[in-house]
Amino acid sequence: MINVETVRADAAGVLTPPVLELHDVKKAFGGTKALNGVSLSVQPGEVHGLIGENGAGKSTLIKVLCGIVRPDEGAINLSGRAYAPTTPREAKANGLQVVHQEFNLLPYLSVAENIFIEHLPRNAFGVVKRQEMNVGARAALDAIGLSDIDVRWPVERLGIAHRQLVEVARALMTQSRILILDEPTATLTSRETERLFTIVNDLRSRGVSIIFVSHHLDEVFRICDRVTVLRNGETVFSRPIAETNQDELVRAMVGRKLQQQMASEMVSLARPEEALSLVQFRHPQSPHAEGISLQLHKGEILGIAGLVGSGRTELLRAIAAAELPLSGALRLEGAPVSFRSPREAINAGIGFVTEDRKEEGLILNMPIAANVTLASLSDVSRAGILDSKAEIEVTQRLGAELKLKYGGPAKNAATLSGGNQQKVVLAKWLARNPKVLLLDEPTRGVDVGAKAEIYALIRQFAERGLALLIVSSELPELMTLSDRIIVMSQHRVVGELSRPEFSEERILQYAYQGEQQQARH
Amino acid sequence: MQALEKTQASETIDTRRLTGWSPKVLLRDAGIGLALLLLIVFFSLGTEHFLTPNNISNILTQITINLILAVGMTFVILIGGIDLSVGSMLAFCAVVGGTVLTIPDLPVFQAVALATLAAVGTGVVCGFLNGWISAFWGLPSFIVTLGMLNIARGAALQVTDARTIYSFPPSFNAFGSQMIFGIPVVFLIALVLVAIAWFVLSKTVFGRLLYGIGNNEEAVRLAGHSLMFYKVAAFTIAGALVGIAAMVYMARLNIASPIIGIGFELNAIAAVIIGGTSLNGGRGTVIGTLLGACITGVLANGLILFGLSDFMRQMITGVVIILAVIIDKYRERLTGV
Repeated sequence: MINVETVRADAAGVLTPPVLELHDVKKAFGGTKALNGVSLSVQPGEVHGLIGENGAGKSTLIKVLCGIVRPDEGAINLSGRAYAPTTPREAKANGLQVVHQEFNLLPYLSVAENIFIEHLPRNAFGVVKRQEMNVGARAALDAIGLSDIDVRWPVERLGIAHRQLVEVARALMTQSRILILDEPTATLTSRETERLFTIVNDLRSRGVSIIFVSHHLDEVFRICDRVTVLRNGETVFSRPIAETNQDELVRAMVGRKLQQQMASEMVSLARPEEALSLVQFRHPQSPHAEGISLQLHKGEILGIAGLVGSGRTELLRAIAAAELPLSGALRLEGAPVSFRSPREAINAGIGFVTEDRKEEGLILNMPIAANVTLASLSDVSRAGILDSKAEIEVTQRLGAELKLKYGGPAKNAATLSGGNQQKVVLAKWLARNPKVLLLDEPTRGVDVGAKAEIYALIRQFAERGLALLIVSSELPELMTLSDRIIVMSQHRVVGELSRPEFSEERILQYAYQGEQQQARH
Repeated sequence: MQALEKTQASETIDTRRLTGWSPKVLLRDAGIGLALLLLIVFFSLGTEHFLTPNNISNILTQITINLILAVGMTFVILIGGIDLSVGSMLAFCAVVGGTVLTIPDLPVFQAVALATLAAVGTGVVCGFLNGWISAFWGLPSFIVTLGMLNIARGAALQVTDARTIYSFPPSFNAFGSQMIFGIPVVFLIALVLVAIAWFVLSKTVFGRLLYGIGNNEEAVRLAGHSLMFYKVAAFTIAGALVGIAAMVYMARLNIASPIIGIGFELNAIAAVIIGGTSLNGGRGTVIGTLLGACITGVLANGLILFGLSDFMRQMITGVVIILAVIIDKYRERLTGV
């Protein structure tokens, strides 16, 4: 603890030379200036927050630092020496490790093999020393407190949150001076995030510098010593964390005053009519016979909170018939229904915005218009022949309604930023005019500005009488949006809160209580 | 806001772009067309006989069967599948069609109509099985069609007892070598099939979803479409086209033998790949396939006129296939096309 304090004092002082220094780094791809003058200075043993909207240049900056992309201009110094890595290997040799946002694990190899992939322990004949590797991997996982998985399991067996932590363990295998964490908490629940923060604190006390890229400002304030804001490829702001506040950071990021609508100002738009109800509804992974029972009214926004693995995503997938439910009853506007395929659910008026936009929501290499009309092709075709004009009209109408920023309906969905991609997914369902919309992590990987816009849109949908069921790992998001929150744990509903009762502590209490009860069984 | 206004201004262009005819796709097809043109110029200058009407109709006749098979293959490859069985299926369709065609005392017109029905029907059944088996059990089509490759070849041998069927009606055979303005009628049939396939792939809901499945199956499924239907349909279409190709084969060569068509699947795949269709699915056009089939045909013919041996020709064709994929890779990287 004392150690940490001293290092921090050093970091705040001017005496220690910075371990990493960037001066006016620029990089253009074709006509697009991805980096347009980034300056940055990281002290030893400092946790340095790097924030900015999507497209602000964070990813490019990381690619420059780890040798994937070479800058056009500017100087980078590592421990006082000029640093210009040309390959990721060279960056690693210089003590710079990155935990990437997208996963770099090999799904069919074991956890241990993944952790040791860069330097597998071998005997004289080049045969892998399995025992040594497993023991080493075990130690690496224990070091970050990840004791609940077996190092011999293939990575594909792990959930998304555990995979992220395995990546962290792998990055920590090599002695590094600088560790870059790119959106490490995007897939983690609060429990795992806490775990990660403990690791970060520990590393800091050992003098490792950490560049922490995140969309979550509360995390930045909790863990970082200093914060740098990028906007349009430029450093617009860099200050010790103690000298700034959330509002200031958001303003620096979006470059304009953001009107944040407070939770308390919102009025419930729920109507008395029932939109959807579940009675003892079980999905195939649910271990409990009582299943999930809940009621959703027209115009209501019902939030579902819970830890990773509590069965939230599975519940939504079963309602949308993406996976067929095991048992239980489903009523839509009072009438009993049962869907045997996503098509039947969609035809009955259910829309499902999936957790993973790139894998399940969008066809990235096809035009935006084709994505928007994907679920409503019969509306834009006659006798099976597409009417391009109608497709473009629909896209332009919904695009304007959702404030979509796009190059044109014929541009591929891949050209859009995360927030705008999500709007295309929303447009796809709005084009069908659904009765119930299921949203799984609606703002994952979406920047602050677009997030606020998506929140406003969701409220608008509710105003029109659409019933919404939202799963999110971001509690502030759920508390901002929802009229009511139910908390799930171990595939059961363990608590329900109405708007006046909302608080992060209470939600987490419910979530962890459920967990502990389970552990006692 | 600015982006929105710009969009509305360019609406007229956009209408065409949505239907698979974006400038990028056009550029890609134009690039392949250019390669074909260069080849033609090269052989015209390099050999005496290349640009004679006789030789041109010769080339067109030679590429007809491969083109028809490649059109069907385009459907399958677009959804991320592959069909290795078309060569064997061609033999099976031909012997079934040939058997019907040689039924004694049947009027020629009826005999041809029934034989076509039988050949296409055989192709449809085989193609349906390919699609259904791989979709229902979630098997790679590579494996399933490898199985069908053996099944269809065996069936063709079994049905004929390994004998060749010949002596088809003379008028049927005459049709096979019929010309209109120096263009073989069978090639015109292939062109009509290309046009229909182009329309289906770029203008219909069906085509849109085939591209969608090739790019992201799960997104298409969760948008409420039956993957099973579209996958089975793509393979069934490929099978039907094999049936048509079998009839063309018989009309041209006047025989139906259980050992024809060996390796034809690879030529069809080559034409599709040279035509710029991605083996991963979701990207490519049937116009590209037409150009790809022409390139392989022109190359084969021109090299023979150059006096190269058949072995050399085969090696050069192999090099061209690899080159086509390499060029495609660079094109993708450099221009995002």
